[in-house]
This record gives sequence, structure tokens and C-alpha cells, in this order.
Amino acid sequence: MTKPSSYLTALSRSGAGTAALLYLVLFVAYASVERSALSVSAFSDLINNASPLAIAAAGGTLIVLLRSFDLSVAGVISLVNVILASYPLEDATGAGISLCLALAIGALVGLVNGVLVAYGGFQSIAVTLATMIMTGGLALVILDAPGGSVAEWLSETLTDTLGPVPISGLVLLAVVIVWAVIRKTDFGVSLYAVGQDEHAAALSGIKVQRTRCLAFVIAGALYGLSGYMLSAQTATGNPTAGNSLLLLTFAAIALGGTSFRGGTGGLTGSIIGAASLMLLQKLLFSIGVQSFYIGLLQGVVMILAVSLMNVGEWFNVRKA
Amino acid sequence: MNASVHQEQPILQVNALRKSYGPTHALGGVSFQIFAGEVHALLGENGAGKSTLVKILTGVVAPNDGTMQFAGSAYAPRTILQARAAGITTAFQELSLLTNLTVAENLALPRQTKGWGRLNSKAKNCVAATATLLRYGLSELNPNTRVSELSLADRQRLEIVRALSHSPSLLILDEPTAVLPSTDWLFDLIRKETAKGTAVLYISHRLNEIRQLCSRATVLRSGCSIETTDLQNTDDARIFEMMVGQRMASTLKSSHVPAVSSQPPRFQVTGLDAGMIKDLSFKLYPCQIVGVAGLDGQGQCDLFHALYGLIPKRAGTLEVDGKTVTINSPSGALAAGIQVALLPEERKTQGVFGDLPVRANMAISALNRIGLLGFTTRKSERQLAKGVASEVDLQERYLDFQISELSGGNQQKALLGRVLLTHANTLLLFDPTRGVDVGTKQALYLAIEAYARNGGAVLLYSSELAELVRLSDRCLVIYEGRIAAELEGEAIEETRLVAAATGNRRHAEGEAA
Repeated sequence: MTKPSSYLTALSRSGAGTAALLYLVLFVAYASVERSALSVSAFSDLINNASPLAIAAAGGTLIVLLRSFDLSVAGVISLVNVILASYPLEDATGAGISLCLALAIGALVGLVNGVLVAYGGFQSIAVTLATMIMTGGLALVILDAPGGSVAEWLSETLTDTLGPVPISGLVLLAVVIVWAVIRKTDFGVSLYAVGQDEHAAALSGIKVQRTRCLAFVIAGALYGLSGYMLSAQTATGNPTAGNSLLLLTFAAIALGGTSFRGGTGGLTGSIIGAASLMLLQKLLFSIGVQSFYIGLLQGVVMILAVSLMNVGEWFNVRKA
Repeated sequence: MNASVHQEQPILQVNALRKSYGPTHALGGVSFQIFAGEVHALLGENGAGKSTLVKILTGVVAPNDGTMQFAGSAYAPRTILQARAAGITTAFQELSLLTNLTVAENLALPRQTKGWGRLNSKAKNCVAATATLLRYGLSELNPNTRVSELSLADRQRLEIVRALSHSPSLLILDEPTAVLPSTDWLFDLIRKETAKGTAVLYISHRLNEIRQLCSRATVLRSGCSIETTDLQNTDDARIFEMMVGQRMASTLKSSHVPAVSSQPPRFQVTGLDAGMIKDLSFKLYPCQIVGVAGLDGQGQCDLFHALYGLIPKRAGTLEVDGKTVTINSPSGALAAGIQVALLPEERKTQGVFGDLPVRANMAISALNRIGLLGFTTRKSERQLAKGVASEVDLQERYLDFQISELSGGNQQKALLGRVLLTHANTLLLFDPTRGVDVGTKQALYLAIEAYARNGGAVLLYSSELAELVRLSDRCLVIYEGRIAAELEGEAIEETRLVAAATGNRRHAEGEAA
């Protein structure tokens, strides 16, 4: 256990390790270009910026671990955003009620997905595409054009810092802690088991359908939380707010080392993966790369990061 | 088994069980009884309904008709957990372990041991697993190892231990020895369990094992229970007859055409170093079947994978008809005029395209020959498959089925057909008859022998020594990645193979000389 080589192996095996390494490299590059990057406010900006995507990716990870897809993330984020912008509730209690509302909307959409996929036996990509379109449409019914404003208390508090720590960072930390607890439950073990081999999991006595359904519900609640964080950042409503996050969510999950074949990976990696993607955007802006090229370069970095993981895996196989 | 046992109530009584999937009848009336402390064999060809019966007994599927009584009360499990709670557990043939979890986690599924704050405790889980492994003589496994890192034999053992760890009154073992190099551990375990009164339903194709363990056997044929027979008074021919339905022509070891030693070798391997294989050399001649024997995990798998280009080679040269070749991928092996083909050892994961029809599965490795400008037609595909189907004794009506609907034996026939279709002049066969029934085995043997007679060279690994004795003209015994012995002709006997395979070098060398 104490050998450095075994640490290296463990690091290259866990997607979170590779993603963290990438983040570190990007951050050093960013700090050398942008002197102000090391200040508390700049760092808290980075975290604020990344938190909606990071939480959405965290939710999506649960589904990808099950070898399924969940596209409803875009619709849920948009829906939560327009509701918070159309019906702002002031003060701390208002923010609390809004939070419960956001989580409930997400969990409800997740429940619909989960019931249809797990008990109905429909394909996840078809079901979640449908719920994405439905929730996206509902968002347009509530707010047909960008506008409205999110409660001031909410947008100010969530973008603030507590001492040197950004509040949104604390929210991310809370998500990671919840994940750590989930991993220590039978549901957590079942999640990996079902993702690896549904048939063997069933023969081992795992309730496959319940596991699947619960995963969709938790993922949905996290999308709701993501929409809540996004609303705090933008302070305004946009019925298509979630659409731009859809594909980036999957990019962050891949970057974080969760396999689309199911059964390996984790939520922490996706959070760091999301942060890396957003940091890359900042870095490219500050070097002065035109915004048209950013998507192109993000894709290149993603391919590089994924091949880095494959190299690590290949190295492990050769050594074994 | 003494007579007094039979006067007791049976622990499991199965009456006229039926199960249909759509129009196909998987079970059409199965009845038998098992008594406490008995090892009861279940015999039948592939597709006879054994798997369906196991699924019903374990609560995975529900029967359409018929009743079951277990331990004195009606028994109709709806989930695997209900079956487990009632006292029936199963070690499945296809293994129900999760390879991305550790040994300890697998043993505890679906409920991990709880520790602080009702959360899973890795440490407590590990302690429980260690105790279980120790109790069933498997203490060499580390509870924290991931199952993906275990050999197939260890996974099989773990599957059995997991079934036993729930202290069942009836243990179902489905082909438990298919991948075990030695049966000692399992048989000891079974004897200890039955002494405590546990009943065992033992499903295997290996009659000699069944004769060692069981006193009574129930034979299934086409979904019906034909007879429950007392094994002591029934000879093998009679059992085969019950399984197959007619008396089978006994096929003895056919007299081999002696390899013409003046011919140059078809395929020559010199100083191969890959995976576990160290400095290995051998030659394959046309018209010759060379067997490879070895205990599990001695490198035979790496040897075949290296020859087929699936794992990198560190050193060594391969020569085909005197010319040095490089093989870095399976298609490279086929394409560069080298013509090597491998029958995959795990057909479910490595060989079969489950959703494609049988004909497509067979024609897939010969697509370049039937294609017109890169397109293939259903007709040409079918024609090609039809031609070879008769060679491997596969019924023509199966060609349009999805291959995943076929029984394991028929899948294996289709795969051998695919390999023959490549017109390869050298075949690498890795355990081609694993888990298939006697009838299919005979068909596969005949196809392999016919292939060799027509000038092909065959390298054959088998986990069943009897098969190597039956088929090979020459036999290499692999031990720790090296050839421990090379036996030829009449010298190929099970006892000698076992001696060499267990590393009994002196004995083996004496034989080889």
C-alpha cells in the first residue's frame, strides 16, 4: 500500500485522479496568464461558474454508471430556472422553499423517467428525450422569452463567500458528501453491480428495477439543484438555459473517468471534469482565443484526457 | 445411499412442471424427488430443459403449470431471495458474480455488513468474508480482491461458496466443474454438506463425476423427465440412450493417419514469449491434431491469444509454411495468408453476435468471399452457411434463428462452422466442447477429425483430458508457461497427462523419452 507505484496505479485507475491532474495543469497555466487568478474572488468566480455544470454532471453520472442515458437534464434545468425567475421568493425562507421546489421538480421528472425505464422496460434514451422535450416545452409555456428575475437574496447569497470559501463550493462539497454516504449503502453497491451486469446482479438478489428507478430520482433531484445554482448565477430566467449544458454534462462525465459501458467511475470525477471544462474555457478566453474556437479546443482536450486514461489502463494491463 | 433414506419424506418434490416461452415448450412435464442428504444428478442434453428447471427452482421464472413441495410445504418462489429464504441456493453455470466488485462485496450481496451509522462497513464485511472463505476451504482468496482479477476457476469456486454461505437445505450446482482443474475441493465440500443433511442437485455432463458423487439421477429429454434411475444399476450406454432417445453408435478413438514426417511443418513457433508463456517452441504438421493439456492458469490461454494476435508477444518467431510472419491482430492472422482461426473459449462474450441470425454469424469471417463490391446478399450468406452446416452437424432450420436463441451446443457448432468457412489451413481450438452435451461433442469431434484428415493442422486445448486422449496425435503439456512434456500416439493417457500437468517433471520426462 505504501509503495509509490501502487499510488500511481490507483491514481491512474480512478478517473477523479486523472481529472484532478488535468485541473491542476490547467490552473497553473491559467494562473501564469492571468495574475489575478490567485485571488480569492477569482477563485470563487471559477467555482461559481462551474457549479451548475458540475452538479448536473454529478446527477448524470448515476445514470451513466447504470449504462443508461439521461437527457432530461436540459429540460429540468430550464424549467427550474424559469420558475425561479417567474416566481421569486425573497429572503432565506423563500430561498429554502425555492430549493425544495427545485429538488421536487427534478425528483418528479426523475421518477417519471425511472418508472418508465425500470418498470416499463423502455429505452432510457427515448424516455428521457421525451421528458426533456416536455419539460423544455413547459418552460416555454411559463416564460416564453428570456426575462424575469431571480430573488435577490438567492442570487447574492449563493455567489458570495463564507470567509475565503465560496458558497457554491460548499454546495458542491455537500453533494460529494452525500455521494460518499450513498456509496456506503446497499444502493451504492447495487448501482455498480447493475451497471456491470444486470443479469448477474439479479441472480445475486439485487432489486434491479428499484435500483434503476431510485438512481433516476436522485439524478433528477441533482438536475433540479443544478438549475437552482444556475439561476443564482444568472439572476434571470431563460427558457432554454439548460440546452447549452446538455452535451457538456456528458463531456464532463467522460472527462471524469466514468465509463459509458457502466459499472466504473464515480461522481467526484465528473465534478472535477466539469470544473476542468469550465476552467479551460476561461483559460482560452484569457489567452485571447476567439470564442468560435473554444468548442473545438474543448473537444480536443477531451479526447486527450480520455486517451490519457486509456494509456493508464493499458499500462496497468501490461504490468499485470 | 441406504434404503432407509428413501422411506423419509422427500425434501423437494416436483410434480408435472410445465413452462412455455411463446410457442416453444421449454418444459413439458417434469417430476422428480430429492431426499435430504442426497446428491441427485440431473442429466440431459443441451436444450433438454435443465436451465429452465433451475430457473424455476430458484424463482427467476414462474412455471405455467405444476406444483412443487419443499421441506413439507408448497413452494412457489417469485424471487431469488424468496428461494434463498426457503432454503434453496444455486451456483449458476454462467456465474452470477459482479466482476467490478470485491470478493467480500460479492459474498455479502445484496446486503453488505453494516457498521457505524448503519452504513456499510468495509472492515466488518471483510471479516465476515474471511470467515466464510475459511469455512469452505477457500482462504487463499483475498476478500479485497476484485473478482475481475480472479481466474475463471477461482470465480467458479467463489460462486459455489457464495451459494453455500446461505446454509441452504438444497444446493443446486449447475455445471460446477466445467472450469475447475481438480474436483477434490468441490467433492470434499459436497460430502461435508451432505453429511449435515443438505441435499444437492448436481448438473453435469461428466458421467464419471456423477458416478463418483451421486446415487440417483433424473434424465431430462426435450423438456420432459424421462426417468429417475439408480446409477449403480445403469450403465453409460443406457444413460446416453435415455438422454438422446436412441442407442448411440459407440465411437472409439479412430485410427489416426500418421503424420508424414517428411512433410515440412505447416506452422512453426520458436521461442515464443508472451503473457505467462516463456520460451515456447513447437511445430504443427498437416493432417495432425496436436493437443495442449494443462491445469487452469498455466498459460495456455496466453498461448492461444498470442498466436491469434490478441496479446503482444515479447519475443519469438512464427513461421507458416517456412515463411516468417507477424500476427498482431486476429484479422492479421487471417488476412496475411496465414490462416489461423480460433474458436473462442467464452462464446457468450467473445464469439457470438447474439442479435444476428445464425447464417450471418457463420458467414461473418468469410464476407470478403461472398461480397460483391463489398456488399453481401442474404442469399449468398445463406448458401455459404448451408454448405458448412452439414459438416458440423447443424440442422439447416436453425440458420435463420437469432443465434442467442440456440442452445449452447448448437451455438458452438455454428462457431465451428464459421471457423471452417475461413478455409484456414491451421485451426487453433480453445476448449471447443466446454459445457456442451455428449451428442454435440461427438459431432464436433467428427468435424475436427474430418478437417485434419483433409490436410488441416489443428492445435487443440481442452480442459477435459479424455477429449485430448480421444483426439490428439501428439500432446503438449503446459506447466507454468513452459512445455513440461510432449506425448505422442499411444503414450497419450490421462494418468500421464495428469502427472505432467501437475509439474511431476521426472515422471513426465521418463514417458516422453
